[in-house]
Amino acid sequence: MNTDQYIEVFLDESREHLQAINDNLLKLEKQPTEIEIVQEIFRSAHTLKGMSATMGFEDIASLTHQMENVLDKIRHYELTVTTEVIDLTFAAVEALEVMVQSISEGNNGKKDVTKLVSQLKQVETGKPSEEEASVGQPPATELLEIDEYQATIISQAVNNGYQAFQITVKLTEDCMLKGPRAYMVFSNLEPLGEAIKTVPDVDEIEEGNFDQSFSFLFISTESSKLIQETIEKVSEIEKVEIAGFSMKEQSVEIPKETVQSTEDKKQTTKEKPKQSKTIRVNIERIDHLMNLFEEVIIDRSRLEDLSKKYIDQELNETVENMTRVTEDMQGLLLAMRMVPIDQVFNRFPRMVRDLSKDLHKKISLEIIGSDTELDRTVIDEIGDPLVHLIRNSLDHGIETPEKRLQAGKAEEGKITLKAYHSGNHVFIDIVDDGAGINREKVEEKAIENGLISVEHSKQLSDEEVYHLIFASGFSTADQISDISGRGVGLDVVKNKIESLGGSIVVSSEPGKGSMFSIQLPLTLSILSTLLVKVQQETFAIPLSSIIETVALSPQDIKYVHGQKVMDFRGHIVPLVSLNKVYGVSDQDDSSHSVVIIQKGDKRSGLLVDSFIGQREVVLKSLGNYLKNIFAISGATILGNGEVCLIIDPNALVK
Amino acid sequence: MARVLITDDAAFMRMQLKDIVTKLGHEVVGEAENGLIAIEQAKELQPDLITMDITMPEMNGVDATREIRKALPAAKIIMCSAMGQQSMVVDAIQAGANDFIVKPFNMDRIKESLSKVLS
Amino acid sequence: MEETVKVIVFTLNNQRYGADIKQVMSIEKMKEITKVPGTSDFIKGIISLHGETVPVLDLKERLQIAQTKESDLNRIIVVQVDGIQVGLIVDAATDVMDVDSSVIETAKEMGGMVHKDYIKGVAKLENELLILLDLANVLALTEKEELKEVMEH
Repeated sequence: MNTDQYIEVFLDESREHLQAINDNLLKLEKQPTEIEIVQEIFRSAHTLKGMSATMGFEDIASLTHQMENVLDKIRHYELTVTTEVIDLTFAAVEALEVMVQSISEGNNGKKDVTKLVSQLKQVETGKPSEEEASVGQPPATELLEIDEYQATIISQAVNNGYQAFQITVKLTEDCMLKGPRAYMVFSNLEPLGEAIKTVPDVDEIEEGNFDQSFSFLFISTESSKLIQETIEKVSEIEKVEIAGFSMKEQSVEIPKETVQSTEDKKQTTKEKPKQSKTIRVNIERIDHLMNLFEEVIIDRSRLEDLSKKYIDQELNETVENMTRVTEDMQGLLLAMRMVPIDQVFNRFPRMVRDLSKDLHKKISLEIIGSDTELDRTVIDEIGDPLVHLIRNSLDHGIETPEKRLQAGKAEEGKITLKAYHSGNHVFIDIVDDGAGINREKVEEKAIENGLISVEHSKQLSDEEVYHLIFASGFSTADQISDISGRGVGLDVVKNKIESLGGSIVVSSEPGKGSMFSIQLPLTLSILSTLLVKVQQETFAIPLSSIIETVALSPQDIKYVHGQKVMDFRGHIVPLVSLNKVYGVSDQDDSSHSVVIIQKGDKRSGLLVDSFIGQREVVLKSLGNYLKNIFAISGATILGNGEVCLIIDPNALVK
Repeated sequence: MARVLITDDAAFMRMQLKDIVTKLGHEVVGEAENGLIAIEQAKELQPDLITMDITMPEMNGVDATREIRKALPAAKIIMCSAMGQQSMVVDAIQAGANDFIVKPFNMDRIKESLSKVLS
Repeated sequence: MEETVKVIVFTLNNQRYGADIKQVMSIEKMKEITKVPGTSDFIKGIISLHGETVPVLDLKERLQIAQTKESDLNRIIVVQVDGIQVGLIVDAATDVMDVDSSVIETAKEMGGMVHKDYIKGVAKLENELLILLDLANVLALTEKEELKEVMEH
């Protein structure tokens, strides 16, 4: 079967399930008696097994199969959760991750998992697995032997007009669940008569403990043809042999129970309560949809113009309705790109667990606000910087348990990862309760690396000194450990965050800990803006920079050193003429509408002709061809098809 | 041609089954990702045949089979099981399932099952 | 081996020029162009095209060919070179023709009409000389000059 077309879905779902196992294992480690969690893990392992077997990734299938066996025993209280079990399962998950990764890179996903499998088997049974130990029963071709009791039943039945048949059913070679298959045979036959004796025992048959065939005695008033047909209705039957049975050469056996007793292994499957309905969509398709949608908007505005031209009630209503619908559509499209930051955060519990073990530290991780949503493009980029910062906190921030105890702190250190929205931004804080940043060490290192001079260092505030750790090639650890400080410094983190339009600050208190705070734009592609007119041109100003809009009368404009300024609530704010900055026209400024913008604690007033209104716009880069244009961060296409430039307010505040 | 409802919590499995079932000339009229949805869909769509995964969130395949059996006595239900689910499969058959297939799926096997169940 | 190149033919100030059609994405009628401040004069601004913004430059200005009157025949040829889409304003886009590669000569001096860096070759056709432009250079040089301008500021 050609499975290539499924590979992407396979990979996606596999990663999801591996992540779920990871998360649940961490939970289980804390609550080892919580069988619900085991159920969850079991379910994920089970799904993985099914998918990988279908795709022909046998190593994944065999490993997950063995995991499942162990988990099955746990959930049936036949095995308890020990550190060994957890560690081994983690190791298995790690191997699975490697294999899935290998598949995603176009390889065959093969990996020698025999060691892990046998370790898991040992956990499961304390001995090699049943598969190896199970020996198939010899095919029951010989005449069935019956005991006295059975003989009595048969003879009575025969006297009552029943016939006795010896039936041998051979299943197909590739039949995988022989037990249930055999059960179906018996279940189908039930209305026709009664099975008296089976070889092997009923229990064994229903456990599937036979080679390929099983035999039984069956008493019935029906014809052998009907019996045969009834059995053949069951799938995976290769051959049915039916012969009349006569009691001649029987010897007496110890009576055995022949009543069909299906094991009552009730499987409690109280499952995860919440699971939202989702489908997977390639992000490119959403982008494409977005572009198409924008074209619809452009046509919509043409229709609006037309409906004004040909005044027609019905046309007008249709267009108005279309406007409403498309506005809703836009909202949905924008929301589609938003994904919870959990997608990034979910790998950290495991990472912190593993790294703290490696570092011989005790560290707990608290995650707050993992449902905070961010644009997909930001999510994709923010993972690595966060990994780096958390590693940094683990390595340099949190002290060893000994040091912590000496300092009178709890033995276990704590890292808090917190995400939240504020305005048009998302903030991510990484807080640790470690030793804090050592100012002297940072200074020393910075001087050593020629970043600052000794004199200079004395003038710097603590914050400024701390910020030096973002300078290139900085590492303050006394010993370079494996975890961080491998030449890749926090400067890389800072650059990445800035390239995403964000910023990072650090604060620290000696002995109490440090906090890295990242500010990111909610989205890279959608901007809330104020549209303004400057002469005949329209510009968009990001709302995030705007404090206020004011109307100015000519006498409010003052000049300081030849620079136009205005008095804004007692503060002198320089005025910037967009007409002049962007060279819109040679005409003199008659504009008296001002947009007050802010960058840090500095403000500017932008002179414009008029305000059009607030608009959500889709940010389009001007592309490589027109880069580095002063005070322009991009362009957008307005509803009427007009292209409008987006102002970069930061460049206009001095 | 039978009208088929596919039930599995893994989209991947649903895709596969849908593909196979369609290739075998049947019409997939619905997909459900858990037992509860399967019951709803079965009642609404009245399919001739339902494929039913066993381990699913919200409601497992055995319980769903039991419920569907009440509402649609004539619909054929094929369980989709995996190795190691013997007892669940037996439970499902007791609950009214007509057949079962075992993952990984194999086209011939599914073909056999469909033709036996639908005959 | 007879090889032919498909070229799009357009006019700039009554002279016919050609460009490899493989680099041409589409031909658009003139539409409203939004000016982008602080760029070279020959960059006329950006237009909206299928939901994306595309910079547009005036090819005559770029090649320093004398300006002509605007007309209804004016077109924007949207080309893609090295992953960058750019619209080129031409007087008219006339036709598409197959040019036998054997009649194409590599560009020498063209008597100062167009700088030789922008010319890929000249096709000697029956009754005319068709100048084939090297779009990569037409665009790339622009960028260099842009950069220079920025640095001189």
